[in-house]
Formats: sequence, structure tokens, C-alpha cells
Amino acid sequence: MKGALPRGFRDILPTEARELHAIERTLMNAFAQYGYVPLEPPTVEFAESAVTVDERRTVRFLDRDGRLLALRPDVTTAVARVVAQRYRQADATLRLAYFTPIFREEASMHGSEREYDQAGVELVGDPTLRADAEVIALLADALARCGLLAADIDIGHVGFVDGFLADLPAEARAAASAAARSGDLVGTVSLAREAGMTASRISALQRGLRHRSADLAAARGDAPASSLRALETLEALRPLLEAAGAGGAVRFDLGYIPALPYYTGVVFQVTVPGLGFPIATGGRYDSLLAKFGADRAATGFGIAIPHLHQALVAGGWRAPAELPLLVLLPDDRDGVATLRVAAALRGSGIAVAIGDVAEAAGQDIRRARVIDETHLEYEGVVRAVEAVIAVLRSGAPR
Amino acid sequence: MKALRIALAQGTLLPDTRLALEAAGLATDALADGGRRLLVPSTDVDYVLARPSDVPTHVAHGAADLGIVGKDVLLETDADVLELVDLGYGHCRFVVAAPTGSVDRSLDEYRHLGSLEVATKYPRVAERHFQGRGMQVEIIKLGGSVELAPQVGLADWIVDLVSTGRTLRENSLSIVEEIATCTARLIANRVSYARDRERIAALAAKLETWAAR
Repeated sequence: MKGALPRGFRDILPTEARELHAIERTLMNAFAQYGYVPLEPPTVEFAESAVTVDERRTVRFLDRDGRLLALRPDVTTAVARVVAQRYRQADATLRLAYFTPIFREEASMHGSEREYDQAGVELVGDPTLRADAEVIALLADALARCGLLAADIDIGHVGFVDGFLADLPAEARAAASAAARSGDLVGTVSLAREAGMTASRISALQRGLRHRSADLAAARGDAPASSLRALETLEALRPLLEAAGAGGAVRFDLGYIPALPYYTGVVFQVTVPGLGFPIATGGRYDSLLAKFGADRAATGFGIAIPHLHQALVAGGWRAPAELPLLVLLPDDRDGVATLRVAAALRGSGIAVAIGDVAEAAGQDIRRARVIDETHLEYEGVVRAVEAVIAVLRSGAPR
Repeated sequence: MKALRIALAQGTLLPDTRLALEAAGLATDALADGGRRLLVPSTDVDYVLARPSDVPTHVAHGAADLGIVGKDVLLETDADVLELVDLGYGHCRFVVAAPTGSVDRSLDEYRHLGSLEVATKYPRVAERHFQGRGMQVEIIKLGGSVELAPQVGLADWIVDLVSTGRTLRENSLSIVEEIATCTARLIANRVSYARDRERIAALAAKLETWAAR
């Protein structure tokens, strides 16, 4: 069909595009304030490089060299490659930020898009808890600057559940851990029971999986030593988050287990009321970069921009106001006066379009009729161009 | 506070589901009238009555916070939801079945022809099972009456859900192997489970106690 688009791809029309650009500016400015510099990865990677996304979920195709390529399924892969190839010898930390479309294959008829924007940061080379606090605080700050107010940040630690499973035979441990990541908590517990976990450990594990609170004391119970260390790490994180200005919205959620297997420490997700998908997820992944030949600590997060945008719009948010757009209705025969007036207005910082516009895109539109090279009829009154500039700049009501 | 919304699988699970919810202290009278309302407000919670295979979709998208549905449906739909409690009822098994006495013959055919045809209503479960076995099969998706397929030469074997096995016997089929045992599960949307933890964990604990009775 002519004019149709492949499933899961769509045109982003001007109203939405303006809003997305406003979000992008706000986020990238916030990231820059914490020292994160932009990285722009290529759109296409070799299919085998994708490590964080199930290969069935990458959008793949062959190029003319016969190589299997994939549209970028995430940015973490690109960051890992860039770090391993270009910053292999660097000792100092690397702070990278991005706002870019990513591509995921989705089953048809699931209401899912195959291309959407993701924004995020990666902090490479800092294994400290201070770094974990930094990225969580940055995420909270960046979302607040966008105007997202009702968000909660749930913080967990993959070491908590891993600690319970550590003593199981290797096969059972892998199966129970995979079940936990896929959300099958029934399977995790029953696999652990079959593999010989004691009843008191099982009830401690179940209690932990249901634990979400600012207080971790109740989760200690009969937890194994390495799970207790995970809890101590979270306890130590609390004052750091408070110092970084992100103490308020934080809850510890020991039942939060990310689907991706590469996390190694503190993990977190951001949720809002009334939206069934998290807005952002992230955490520490100290062993991932080693797969690319750079054994460096790393933490970071990704924000699903469609979900953030959806939550903002649901809360009545609109793109921040700019100076109005002045639409000049040309009245002169040859257009000379109109073009001169438009140039003068733009020289004074006023946005001008000539002839009525079909797409307002949510902008504040004002209209004026050109009388001659120095005069406009604006709001029913003939005024000098300078007077109109003054009115528009002052933001006076039309 | 917003009422929790629970999607319930209509059909054979519903009577036991009502017992479970009653035991956990939730009123289910609103579900009793046999009416045609699909969104049923009740005290403390709202119920959504849905086709079993749609329950995971409702929950995955957050249209419902919780759901009660069979593990068989979860295995086939592969939706991204949290499984919180094994409720114990609605017991059934995914099995591979073949015409009685024909297993050796079809395995011999498999050696010669390199592939078996398997009819099923559950293509994902069947495909995953045979992939795990390293067997090459052609999956034939049917909408119902899968037991018929081997008798009319549409397929060599079937993958189907059985509770008593009577339908298999009446169609001269025997179980070749069992793929999974399935019971009803309490499932949750990932975000609802995070944000409404207190209410959901309390309900899950009550249902777990009831299931272990």
C-alpha cells in the first residue's frame, strides 16, 4: 500500500516533535550539569554485537557484504564498544549521555512501537557507591526538571536474591535466577525448594521479594551473608542519596529484579501512578564492559521517552512556552514590504512566518497584517513595527 | 485510594477463583449474578472478566493491576508479568500425545523423513518443547479439536492440555511425554507490584495461605 509505514514505525508530527525536543533539551542540559558529555552512536551495528537485548528482539537485515546487521537496539552496546576501543587506557571516569532512537522487534498486534527515543547516561570507571548515588540523583533531578512530579524511585540490589540462590547447585541456581528475572517468582521459590533450600531460608526469600519500604530491617531475618551485604550496601546508599538531594522519592524494593542479566549491584526503576510500564530503569553493570575487552566498572540508566512523555501529558504538561510566532498576512502586491518587515522582526528576535500556517504545532500564534515597510495592523490597531516588537517581547496578552 | 483492579479468567477457573478470593477476604457476590457486565466494581477491588488468553495482556499493559489465570495461558502468551502465587487449583498438564501404539512407528518415520508434524492449539509451548528436545517438527496450529488431527492424517502427534486424559483415551491417543504441569496463578503488573506493594503483598500472602491449606 502506498503511503503506509512498516508496523511499529510512525511519523512524529510537529506538535509531538516540539514536545519531544523540549524534553530532549531539558534532559541533555541536566546531564551536562553533572558533567555528562554527548555520545552519538551509529544507527546500525553488527547483529552479533548486541549483548543486552535478546537477538529475537533486534531489527536485523543483511547488507551487500553479506553481513548481518541490526538497527541499534540500545546505546549501552555502543558505549561498551567505544570505551573498549577508544578509552581502553583511560583511568579517569567517563561520563556519557545520549538521547537517540532505538529499535526493538516486537510481536505484531501488541500495541508496541519498533522505534522510540531513549535517553540516558553511562558512568564508566567509578566502582564507588558515590557513583551509584550520583546517577540516581541525576535521574531524579532530570525527571523533576521535565516536570514529572509524582515519580517514585525504587532501589534494589541484585545481590540480595543472588545471595539466597548462591548455595544451590549450578543448574538450579541458573534456572531459579532466570525465573526471577522473567518475573516468575513462583518458579524461583519452587526451584529453590526442590534444590534443597531450607524452609526458613525460603520464607526469608519470600519475605524479601515482597519487601518495599524505606526501612530494610524487616528483610534481614534468615538471609545469607552475601544477601546481608547487599542490604548493607543499600543502607550505606541512603545517606549518600540524601546528601545528593534525592532522599525524598526513594524506596528500597528487594522484589525489583531487572529482566536483563548483566546487572551486578544496585538497580533501580522509576514508576508513576497510572502507567503500567516503568519510565526509567538502570543500575550497576560491572562485568558487561569486560565482554568488549575493557574490564571497567559502570553504572547508568535509560529513560523510555514515550513513557515519560505519556506521563507528562497525562499530568497536563505542555511544552514550555517560547516567544510567540508572528504570522504576517501579506497585503502588498510584490511582497517587498512584507519581506522587509519580516527581516526587521527576525532581527529583533521575533519568530515570523509569512502567510497563514496550516500547522500551529502547539505554538502561541499571533497574526498581523502588513500595511507598509514600517507599519503593521496588530490586534485591530495600526502600529509601528517597533511597537509590535515591544508588545510581543513583553508577552502582553493579545 | 484507587481500587485494585483484578482481571479474572472466565470459564472453568472462575468458581475456584471466587473461593480463593473469598478466602482472602474479598467479596465476590458481584460476580455471581451471571450478568453480562465485564467490568464489575466490588468492595475494595474492581474485577475485569476476560478471556483467559487476554488476562496476561491486560496485566502486562497495566489495564489491570492483578490477574488470576492458568499457568498454561502464561506459558503460551509469554507476557511480561510477575507470577506471585501458585493457587493450586485448575490442575492440568501440557502433554505430547500420539495414536496409541504408534510411537515407535512415528519415531522410525522421523528417522527417515527428518520431521514430525505436530498439531496443537499452543504453538509456542509446542515449539519451545521440541526445540529443547532437539527434535525437528512442523507445528500445525489448530483452533480446536486437536485430538482429531492424527486420526485424519493431519499430524503425527499433538500437543494438548489435558486434565483427566479422558478425551485422549476416547480418541485412541496416549501420552508420549509430559511438558509441564499447570495450575492457576496470581499475576501482577510490574509497576503495580512496585507501587501498590502493601496491598498486593497482603493479598498474595492470604492467597498463599489459602492455597497451602
